Amino acid sequence: MVISAGLVTVVGLLSDEGSAPALLMTFTIQMIAVVAAIAVLIGVLNLAAVHLGRFAHAEHGWPYSVVMLFVMVAVIVLSILDRAEIWSGELEGEQISLRAFEAVQVSLESALAALLAFFLVFAAYRLMRRRVTVWSLVFSVTLIVVLVGWIPFEELDVLADVRDWLVRVPVSAGMRGLLIGVGLGTVMVGIRVLLGQDRSYKS
Amino acid sequence: MTPANLDLIAGWASLVLTLLIFSYLLGDNFLYRIAVHVLVGAAAGYIAVVAVESVLIPWFNNTTLAEQGTRDDATMTAIRVIGTVPLLFGVLLLLKFSPRLAPIGNLGFAILIGTGTGIALIGALMGTVIPLARDTGESLGDEVLEGVIITAGVITTLLYFQYFAVERGGRVQRPRIFQALGGVGQFFIAIALGALYAGAIITSLTIFGDVISTQWQFILDRIGG
Repeated sequence: MVISAGLVTVVGLLSDEGSAPALLMTFTIQMIAVVAAIAVLIGVLNLAAVHLGRFAHAEHGWPYSVVMLFVMVAVIVLSILDRAEIWSGELEGEQISLRAFEAVQVSLESALAALLAFFLVFAAYRLMRRRVTVWSLVFSVTLIVVLVGWIPFEELDVLADVRDWLVRVPVSAGMRGLLIGVGLGTVMVGIRVLLGQDRSYKS
Repeated sequence: MTPANLDLIAGWASLVLTLLIFSYLLGDNFLYRIAVHVLVGAAAGYIAVVAVESVLIPWFNNTTLAEQGTRDDATMTAIRVIGTVPLLFGVLLLLKFSPRLAPIGNLGFAILIGTGTGIALIGALMGTVIPLARDTGESLGDEVLEGVIITAGVITTLLYFQYFAVERGGRVQRPRIFQALGGVGQFFIAIALGALYAGAIITSLTIFGDVISTQWQFILDRIGG
């Protein structure tokens, strides 16, 4: 099943648009999107079941599970109410679930991303305090040059030029090497799966 | 309730949740954990809604629940049968929960893996390996020195991950030429990771500034500042 689905996709992607293999591949991908959506729903139900279990057995941290379940149900209920267009008066036509999403999800993700700055700086500081190796030195010097070069001071124009050159040449080379390596690794794993040599998904 | 009231509630919710997350700077605490569980709950609820509204409802509206219109009965039957196929695969995924029935559940999983593998394989080849290799080759035609450095950097970075080893004097080790070239590759990798790390710091600092500015503006608006 894996091999045939994979081959249909590969042949379809390499075929001309509108040809029979391409149409078959498009249909397969549409079908897969539906299966993936069902898989997502199963995952969400599993998450809810796990937290309901924690709550029911009053396990350690059950109040957090109550919070999680409450928010999850609230988002789903708000979306259903939005879809049913029950809001009247000044709220008519409002997508309250979208407002809630922006207030909760966007705020939390932004705050977490902002918090990351502190931990990244602290981790870099810890790296510099550890035993110095050639590689940690190269890493740290690049880090400092790129950070300082980012500051828009006229006096630091030279560093900005160095940063631009670093990003354009050695960083670009290293990133391309890493990305090509990742790509080649993906191709190898894909070929192994399509040849039936790698069946780790069965476990 | 008016849209202005909703904005006010949303603003307060955003401020409180931001403070709960920032409380982690004082150490792991229950306020931070509440915020994280709110995030997980909202994300799970939202992803479930998107899966149903954007994928499942359109699919079933166009297949199983499609209106006949000018189509004949045989065509409609075929469309409805096809529409139920992914549902069948999806239901098979539920069997993965049972250790005894898991092999049957693998059928649903297999089609996901197979198609995903095909897309990943062609995507990696056409979207990453070939364009990057071509760009690297073309860089030799612009600034010669920079082109040479980039090409050497790409090749040595790839060689750094080459673990072809030979036995020498009873010890298995990489050939000396690969060790030397891999060292050069490691230099390029260290520079690339350093720049990426700096980029991550700059991005999160920018977001930090934006978050503080948004919340500060909300507080000023409330106190009339």
